[in-house]
Amino acid sequence: MPQHMKRRIIAGIAALGLTASLAACASGDPLGGNGSADLGSLTIGSQGFAESDILAQLYGQALAAKGYKIDYAPSIGSRETFIPALQDGSIDLIPDYAGNLLYGADPKATATSTVDVMAALPAVLEPLGLVVSDAAQAEDSDALVVTKEFAAANKLESIGDLKPIAKDITIGANTEFEGRSYGRSGLEKIYGVTGWKFKAIDDYGGPGTLSDLLKGNIQVADIYTTTPSIKQNDLVVLKDPLNMIAAQNVVPLFNKDSYSVAIANVVNQVSNRLTTAELMDLNEISAGDSKPSPEKVAKDWLTKMGLL
Amino acid sequence: MLFLEALAFIVDPANLLGEKGILPRLVDHLLYTGLSLGVALLIGIPVGLIIGHTGKGKNLVIALTGSFRALPTFGLLLFIILFTGLGLWPLVFVLAVLAIPPIIAGAYSGLDSVNRETIDSARAIGMTEWQILGKVEIPLALPLILGGIRSATLQIIATATIAGYVGLTGLGRFLIEGLAYHDYTIAFAGAILVAALALAADGLLALVQKLVVPPGVSRGSARTTHRSRWNFRPAVSTGTHITGG
Repeated sequence: MPQHMKRRIIAGIAALGLTASLAACASGDPLGGNGSADLGSLTIGSQGFAESDILAQLYGQALAAKGYKIDYAPSIGSRETFIPALQDGSIDLIPDYAGNLLYGADPKATATSTVDVMAALPAVLEPLGLVVSDAAQAEDSDALVVTKEFAAANKLESIGDLKPIAKDITIGANTEFEGRSYGRSGLEKIYGVTGWKFKAIDDYGGPGTLSDLLKGNIQVADIYTTTPSIKQNDLVVLKDPLNMIAAQNVVPLFNKDSYSVAIANVVNQVSNRLTTAELMDLNEISAGDSKPSPEKVAKDWLTKMGLL
Repeated sequence: MLFLEALAFIVDPANLLGEKGILPRLVDHLLYTGLSLGVALLIGIPVGLIIGHTGKGKNLVIALTGSFRALPTFGLLLFIILFTGLGLWPLVFVLAVLAIPPIIAGAYSGLDSVNRETIDSARAIGMTEWQILGKVEIPLALPLILGGIRSATLQIIATATIAGYVGLTGLGRFLIEGLAYHDYTIAFAGAILVAALALAADGLLALVQKLVVPPGVSRGSARTTHRSRWNFRPAVSTGTHITGG
């Protein structure tokens, strides 16, 4: 509890600082306001990693352009922290990921496809006083990834194509992968891929996993779909036609009392334009040499998309 | 009770062998420890002996190894992996970096603690510098040299648990798997195994220390005296000192 409070206080202080700087921005923004009156204010949280900060800025700046007063509460932390923050009104909106949101709220859930997950969410979120708007096409999920050469040599397109070569491959992923629904049991039951070796590399598909994949120490790696290294190294994401891996589309999560159709319409415009490739690009720009702020990354994209 | 469950996990024969067994991981853990300690000794002992014997470069080496101690080992490992990729040698390198400072410190302070008069006597009776080092300084410094090696070994054994994060195995895998699956019995069992290995290694080295240190020399008896090489003392008096002793 004290740690929880401390985090919120820190988030609050950070939000205050950002409010001040944003208020200064908004008043000087000729596009801000659209000439309409004050539509109310919203506090947008983020989960404490670059992609989440960018998403918060995308939704926040699009709303600010329509005349909402936006405060940011960056780096609130994981689901255990931001769900209570939404419920007590410390924040009104936070970008989340559909599958993890569903399994977090209902550990017994079984839906995996985007359609099924989105259909299951409202009933699960209702008792928590939460609601979601449209999911973006953009998805940041686990993915089984191979090199282009390995895919060509073994005619790999989807996960099931691994079946004939399963005994000769090593899959590299975080320790918990083996026990997940898309680990040993899922690969065997859903795609019949069994007999593979496992190499635990606990860097969440980071540089170590990547170098092992490129060197051929592992043949298949678990790398998140929006990781720029996929594009930079021409890696092939194996298709998952049977939805073994749960959909993790970006989905704006609201406190029910903060939600309105008007707000959802603005937020949906952003979601509708956001694809996995676009989100990967935003991550790449954000991690680039000039280390632009999430605010700038989001602003450039919204401008490019004509949403500001 | 967690402690008893962890002990039960350790003594269960089903957990001894196999891909994720205690024995193969213990062997790997010992392999990482041995390789890293070997590399650290190859570098640390000569450097420590040289600066201890000559007194040259003392401040530089102490400042350098002191700053090495402040390096976060896991951070350094991830940094190196950015350039080298995964493998055994990045781990051995960072563990050696961790172990070299206490080894140098032990070797250097061991030699430094040898009574100057004893060394001057050895020189006076015609011993070469190598003979002084090998027959006088090192035997007298052994308690502190071995103390440094013991301390380095313990640090390596405890820190080698990070191998499990970077595609290797070792006893750290039990900690990582336990945490990943929220199975704290396994994590605790891993912690017990690492602690037990460290205690066993320390006990073994304590025994070695007892066996190889010449009789009459113990940690307390080799007193530090101020280094005074330029301060000429009559050779005769020190000579009688050593033959008398």
